[in-house]
Amino acid sequence: MRIIGPDELIFGVDNIQACRDFLKDYGLIETAPDCFEALDRTAIILRETGDASLPPPLPTATRLRETVWGVEDQATLEAISGELSRDREVRTEASGRLSTVDDAGFRIAFQVTRRIKLDLAAERINSPGASPGRAANEIGANEDAEARPRTLSHIVYFVPDMDRMANFYIQRLGFVITDKFTNTGPFLRPQANDDHHVLFMIQTPDYMQGLEHLAFHMQGPTELMLAGSRMVKKGYQSFWGPGRHKFGSNWFWYFNSPMGTHVEYDADMDKHDGDWVMRETPMSKEAAQMFLFENVAKWAPGGPPPGKG
Amino acid sequence: MIVVCRLDDVPDGGAIGALPNARGRDTLVLLRRGDQVLGYVNNCPHYDRAPLGWRKDEFLNGDGTRIMCAAHGALFRIEDGVCEVGPCLGQALTAVALTIRDGHVCLADGSALLS
Ligand SMILES: [Fe+2]
Repeated sequence: MRIIGPDELIFGVDNIQACRDFLKDYGLIETAPDCFEALDRTAIILRETGDASLPPPLPTATRLRETVWGVEDQATLEAISGELSRDREVRTEASGRLSTVDDAGFRIAFQVTRRIKLDLAAERINSPGASPGRAANEIGANEDAEARPRTLSHIVYFVPDMDRMANFYIQRLGFVITDKFTNTGPFLRPQANDDHHVLFMIQTPDYMQGLEHLAFHMQGPTELMLAGSRMVKKGYQSFWGPGRHKFGSNWFWYFNSPMGTHVEYDADMDKHDGDWVMRETPMSKEAAQMFLFENVAKWAPGGPPPGKG
Repeated sequence: MIVVCRLDDVPDGGAIGALPNARGRDTLVLLRRGDQVLGYVNNCPHYDRAPLGWRKDEFLNGDGTRIMCAAHGALFRIEDGVCEVGPCLGQALTAVALTIRDGHVCLADGSALLS
């Protein structure tokens, strides 16, 4: 199953203007009404809670209505339709998109991906012993960098039965486990994506089921810090970060959002292939991050002591 | 007695954050309904470090009838802070007793100081 990753996340919200403001400030581009895209066209879609085009909500607090997965080609769509039609209804929409439900009850859809291929530079650094990442006189600290999210990286669900949920994505859709937090949940990678994870899940009571967070990949740690600092400056509420995770190695910075889910910037995630052997460890503060910082107001040392100048 | 802010700083029907800690994070959420001001600790009962809002002074759902946790969407009743839906179902926000004196919102005597 040549599934690439999440293409679109569709929300039903009762505070749509606040959500629009947030997504624009986060760095996504509104390319159609209430469609907010990253550089590769992966997107967050906003709708009013009562919009008749939306699938029904879960009975929990989550505003996520549908997760749309991007796949490589029509043949993959047909394979998914054949596989999932064995035990559930799979609707084919006029657009060709398949719409159904997973084993936890989340509405999911599949489409030939809307992603465009990006051809962009990575963050470039200079490192002793290595050839220079930047040419002479090329500056690394660019406060004016756009720092736009490049692509929808991954989503994390709260699920009542992580084993059942993981088995659905593994056995029915061909995802593989890259690493696992015991009693919390596995990190999953689909076959047409080498990122460490596009899907992670956290075992919770059933009344918590929903979206824990979504994340977009940034160019690198510097643009992650720049984008996050801009959010803080605009008054947005940082939740966790900046820091660097252990599993996946990605830099992270999470914010609260008016969609009622955490929204993360991430950067520099590990890539894996079939040779990788999964690691497993209990979830803990130590296991969750290599290091954690907290943003503080700007300050600088220097100058004479107060009153002596 | 600790003065939190002026009564007029809290919009009627709205909410604001107050009493920032050393890191600049508001530790208190104030909600005003007429001349009454309610206060809650700015932390979702779901985690020990989960501030409620998504932006400075943004704590309410779309129609302003509930406090919304912008971490996972939990909704809390304004009058008593009880969670009606969300990860902290059955729990409640921690209320902070307030008094109004001379047009100022103050922590009531004996109110625990917030860190
Ligand atoms: Fe993440």
